[in-house]
Amino acid sequence: MLNFSSPINKEKSYSEIKIIEIEPVAKINLRSSKREFSTKIGKLLSILPPAEANTSSGNENFNLLWLSPDEWLVYSNNKQQSLEEQIKLEEILFNEISNLNQGAVTNVSDHWVMINLKGNKIYDLLSKSCPYNFNEFKKKKGSVTQTIINHIDVILHNKDNNDLNLFVRRSFAEDLWLWLNDGARFI
Amino acid sequence: MFLINCPYCGERDQTEFSCGGEAHLERPKQPTELSDDQWAEYLFMRKNIKGIQYERWNHTHGCRKWFNIVRDTSNDKIHAVYKIGEKPPVKI
Repeated sequence: MLNFSSPINKEKSYSEIKIIEIEPVAKINLRSSKREFSTKIGKLLSILPPAEANTSSGNENFNLLWLSPDEWLVYSNNKQQSLEEQIKLEEILFNEISNLNQGAVTNVSDHWVMINLKGNKIYDLLSKSCPYNFNEFKKKKGSVTQTIINHIDVILHNKDNNDLNLFVRRSFAEDLWLWLNDGARFI
Repeated sequence: MFLINCPYCGERDQTEFSCGGEAHLERPKQPTELSDDQWAEYLFMRKNIKGIQYERWNHTHGCRKWFNIVRDTSNDKIHAVYKIGEKPPVKI
């Protein structure tokens, strides 16, 4: 885990939008097309990887996002998780999956930055520069999509009504953060 | 601009995809036995049809999976979408 000081970790509030970076959060990428993988993840994390496209599953500790038919992203709900706990989680998954040739486990905690958006107008803000149709997405709690916002690749996870987590690659995070804040001023 | 129905993620805007060119090109089994002209024919020459064309596409900004499309290049109408490894539709 990088010991970084992010320039974007202050909460920004606008009339109907709140934006905040949530870090550090453990994020682990899982890849497998093996049958036993699903039950194994179920045993280790107490959640099954969603098989249906654009959905997620979760419990009080973790969220498991569908990225493609053989790829998922696990992220922790616990912001207070220590570095040791994160490494332990990665190790458990790595030993049980990668080492047994059941799939691939990659720690992407430092690869993705998680930004939380809340408020009635968040979809108006995202739609300013996103080709995705949010009509179904915003109705369904737990829905996931990968798309582009202002030409930047993002993963969106609909956590709750008008509450979503956005994952963006670290090198693009500040650019997107500035764009989101700039856009939010005019909504 | 047009919509593409990704066989894995559903309907998305074309800007999320990238085109990988003509589909169903078979790599020669023994490239070393080919002349330079034959190899260049396989490597570079494409039909570039005005009309119905079989193409490979990748959902670059989504699930990152490859799939095939039958597209009319003159009006961007998509006639069929099918996964890699599946047989192309015979009648369009």
